[in-house]
Amino acid sequence: MQTITLLFPLAWRNLWRNPRRTIITLVVVAAGLYSILVFAAIMTAWAKSSRDTTLDLITGSGQIHAVGYLADPSIDHTMAPPDTVLTRALNHPEISAWAERVMVPAVVQSEYRTLPLTLAGIDPAKEKRLSILPKDMAEGSYLSSSDGYDIVLGRHFAERLKTRVGKRVIILATATDGSLSEQSYTVVGLFGGNQQVEDAYAFVGKQSAQKMLGLGDAISEIAFKLVDDSTRATVIADLRSAAPRLDIEPWTKLSPLAAAMDQFMTGFVYVWLWVMFVFMAIGIVNTQLMAVFERSREFGLLQALGMRPRHILMQVVIESGLMVGVGVLIGFVASILTVLAFAGGIDLGFLAQGAEYFGAGRVLYPDLSPLQFIELSLTVWALGIVVGLWPAQRATRARAADAIRQSN
Amino acid sequence: MPESSRKAIVTCRGVTKTYKLGAIEVPALNGVDLDLLEGDFATLAGPSGSGKSTLLNLIGGLDQATTGEVSVGGQVLKGLSRSKMTELRLHRIGFVFQAYNLIPVLSALENIELILQLRGVGQNERRDRAMEALADVGLQGMEDRRPSNLSGGQQQRVAVARALIGRPSIVLADEPTANLDSHTAEDLIDLMYTLNQQSGVTFLIGTHDARVIAHAKRRIEMTDGRIVSDDREEQAHAA
Repeated sequence: MQTITLLFPLAWRNLWRNPRRTIITLVVVAAGLYSILVFAAIMTAWAKSSRDTTLDLITGSGQIHAVGYLADPSIDHTMAPPDTVLTRALNHPEISAWAERVMVPAVVQSEYRTLPLTLAGIDPAKEKRLSILPKDMAEGSYLSSSDGYDIVLGRHFAERLKTRVGKRVIILATATDGSLSEQSYTVVGLFGGNQQVEDAYAFVGKQSAQKMLGLGDAISEIAFKLVDDSTRATVIADLRSAAPRLDIEPWTKLSPLAAAMDQFMTGFVYVWLWVMFVFMAIGIVNTQLMAVFERSREFGLLQALGMRPRHILMQVVIESGLMVGVGVLIGFVASILTVLAFAGGIDLGFLAQGAEYFGAGRVLYPDLSPLQFIELSLTVWALGIVVGLWPAQRATRARAADAIRQSN
Repeated sequence: MPESSRKAIVTCRGVTKTYKLGAIEVPALNGVDLDLLEGDFATLAGPSGSGKSTLLNLIGGLDQATTGEVSVGGQVLKGLSRSKMTELRLHRIGFVFQAYNLIPVLSALENIELILQLRGVGQNERRDRAMEALADVGLQGMEDRRPSNLSGGQQQRVAVARALIGRPSIVLADEPTANLDSHTAEDLIDLMYTLNQQSGVTFLIGTHDARVIAHAKRRIEMTDGRIVSDDREEQAHAA
């Protein structure tokens, strides 16, 4: 304890023997940590936005299908509507919304063109709670009933089809008996948001789709949305036990690209951490080595006076710890202030198309949990102390006799 | 105290030291035998390269003899680990260097306290003893001054106080007056002599300075790595 009370003030004062050098190192550490934390907050926000944007369009947090549907999403792999047990499981408090859908491959024909897509027969009321598409209408209105003959197309798809709101289109799809069924629908709205989805789906009332395809009350899928994605595994397990004969999959399997992007973003934060840390480490080691070389006579003197080599090591390590610690503190506070300043969101309107390309929303909300902030900061601090061991070890090599000889 | 009743604080027997400069071997000490007794105020004189500093370093445990044996307070230094040697220096030996060698970031008082802190002495006792030592060297009121705000003579007084604070068996001083003007040097010599008389701590001072040699009760002279004369005065010097 005596030694610590000696070494701490000694280390702190030694740091300020060359204030310029110490301040430069502090700035390097603070700026490095700042960039790590702010970058992590933005990347986390980007990953979350990208994931939510993808999942909130169609996929949801997970889906339930008949076995075989995912491999062959056709009329041949339908299932009965949820029974009492599955309905009870779907009304789980962790599931915020769920909806049944009929999803079949179809062809849409206008006066000018015929294009393929997936026809989605949905319950408008339920779908509004599950998907953002009903709220993202570019033109016209969303479906109002499950049994009408209205259709909502993607804005870009409508352009390609050369149709518009108020016009009629013909849907052609294979019915359950293998025949080609067709039905005329009136375009009541065009949804926007994501070009890929705009070109891939058309929405009609579920009952009208069932009627056209001769499905009775059969459906193709149930999509559900979770309150908190961290409960995904538990909820999926509950659903699987409620419906053991159905294929119940989480979004990570249904949308592997979104899952890969999510993982990539998280991994990229750590890559950035290491890149920045290498720069910081060079600064820390350089500063401490210079300080150690300059003070080798003093370290020799301390040994001559009776300071043990391990205490000299501790002194230099404490110096590194204090220097990196102050830098970390400055970087930590600055990054928290920055994240708080942008808590209302960063508007990416100026690069909207680019953001959309990466699947992110127009506004990013920097997000990093307090635990992650502390964890990353402590990691940088600990690594800073570890790299400080090298100069510290050099300091213990100073020989008292050489040091005294130099001074005379 | 008569010489016969004083015990030996330092004993050197057949001590040699050879430095290697590449392939060349340079002998610095050629078989030194020496006994320093409790309370000695001895000077180690001789021309440059005579081996004074080398002998001081060997007695101070800062370097190892090539052959022969050095013991301090009955402890043979040969074979001691680095850590044990540090321990021995902390408890048995005080150093005063030509270049003062105070820690620049510590105040005068803290420089003196440092030794007691390394020994684990409690804060109150440490502070009291350091204040007392500072007063003994005539630097009351300068406790908070950093070395850069002290003159050379004042710094050397702090160094003397630091060397004595731990009540060592011996104080080794290597050219302590070399960087001081003559008046300050005289003051310092008087101070060291007075402290030797008061505390009975043995002083061995490596020096060229005739004024220091004149004050000594024992004058050891070295040439070419050997002790060529060792004169003792049983009478205290006339200040």
